[in-house]
Amino acid sequence: MTRARFFLPAAALLAWGAGGFAASRAYRPHFPPPSEIQVPVKGAAGDMFSLALGTRRLFADLWFIRLMQYYGTREKPLAGEERECAEHPGERHHDHHGLNGEGLYPEFFSRARHILELDPHFASAGLYAAGSLAFNMDRPAEAEALLNFGIKYAPREWKYATLLAAVGYSKAQDPAAVARTITPLITDKDCPVMLKQLAAFLNKKAGDLAAAAVIYADIAATSRDAAYVDNARRELEKLSKKARRP
Amino acid sequence: MRLLRLTWAVAANAFSESVRHRFFTLFFVFAFASVYASVLAGVMAVDQEARVLADFGLALIELTALAYALFNAASVLLKEAETKTIYLVFSRPVPRWAYLAGKLWGALLTAGLMLAVMAAMHLALLALRGFGVPAFYGWALAGAFLKLAVITAIAFFVSLFSTSPVSTIVISGILWTAGHFASEARFMAERVPGVAAPALKGLLWLIPNLQIFNARDAAGAASALPPAAFAAAGAWMLAACLGSLWLLSRKEF
Repeated sequence: MTRARFFLPAAALLAWGAGGFAASRAYRPHFPPPSEIQVPVKGAAGDMFSLALGTRRLFADLWFIRLMQYYGTREKPLAGEERECAEHPGERHHDHHGLNGEGLYPEFFSRARHILELDPHFASAGLYAAGSLAFNMDRPAEAEALLNFGIKYAPREWKYATLLAAVGYSKAQDPAAVARTITPLITDKDCPVMLKQLAAFLNKKAGDLAAAAVIYADIAATSRDAAYVDNARRELEKLSKKARRP
Repeated sequence: MRLLRLTWAVAANAFSESVRHRFFTLFFVFAFASVYASVLAGVMAVDQEARVLADFGLALIELTALAYALFNAASVLLKEAETKTIYLVFSRPVPRWAYLAGKLWGALLTAGLMLAVMAAMHLALLALRGFGVPAFYGWALAGAFLKLAVITAIAFFVSLFSTSPVSTIVISGILWTAGHFASEARFMAERVPGVAAPALKGLLWLIPNLQIFNARDAAGAASALPPAAFAAAGAWMLAACLGSLWLLSRKEF
């Protein structure tokens, strides 16, 4: 009885220490430290849950959905920015937010960075956000900052480096090099449809209609985004008409 | 061999009692509804639907199994003491360690069954949406099971000195969240100036680092669990069981 009184707690402490030792030797954090986390808008409570319940990946998904909703919402025009629309006479619009995704979206970068702060391995989100910043909103510096952040915490993610090179070519006004650089990306499962669309467009512009048609066909077959699928089908139709012309 | 049979008898009894509990059914209904609701989030993610569905489902599966495992572990020993069933058990030649090991074994079987059934529901849902089994799925479930095993063993230990099942659930829940914060807490402890840093680091050894089992969250980096994760889980469970046995040996039955 006396032996059990001392032996059991001592053995328990020893076993507990052994568990801690094994875990501390094997564990390598895959995520940025808390000092890197900057909550851009209301959402600190959610982030606490993401850390406390070990659900960073899930909360990165939620922030990605919120980013898409933010980017998919038409911006309110600034004073005096509305003008009569050429396509709709008599109506005054700010812009036509279509597949090109132009706009200011001032919170876009901080929201996108927050996704990578929670899960830097979420390559689709990183590529989508950096591609939108660089090619749609003409903010290559922010795109580069985002990709560099991703590379810092997910150094094995070659797709970030590839897109970073493409952004560099885009800054140098070399669309053919951009198309060439992002070609390996578009066959990857993580490639956002927006980048595929860009690659198809650049190929079409450069006169490589066959390559553009292959990418559009891929978008039409694999994407779940109806807007991109419809556009890809339209483009395929146009390309096939062009090809039939003598 | 006789002791193993005894332990198995306790485990089988604990397992069948858990499965027959009405809360068990309720948790299944909740799990199915939650996993099904994740379809909505998946649809909003458009081209990332597969990832979102997988992440939502795995997180909900783990949290539902955790809720039931904590409820079960917090109430089972107290209930047996209150209903005096424990006297019947200990009036027979059943060693206390065999009783404890049997109860833990039964709780782990229940947790394993819950994970397996909910994973089957989740995979069926993924298949229904046209997606296959995510590459990291098996590791994510294994990691969830190890986390549940560690926290259940801890909850058994806590239930032997706490005053009610609620306080056991609260204390174990705090350890669960602290366990996921372990690497962040270590990072902050390293930045604390002076003698507080080693003291804090020492305190952190008391918290099991549950992130080591979190293959679900590390799916983008390295989803396979290292062998040390299994060793750590075994050591922590052994420690909690030895602690429980110590507390149980001090009680008069």
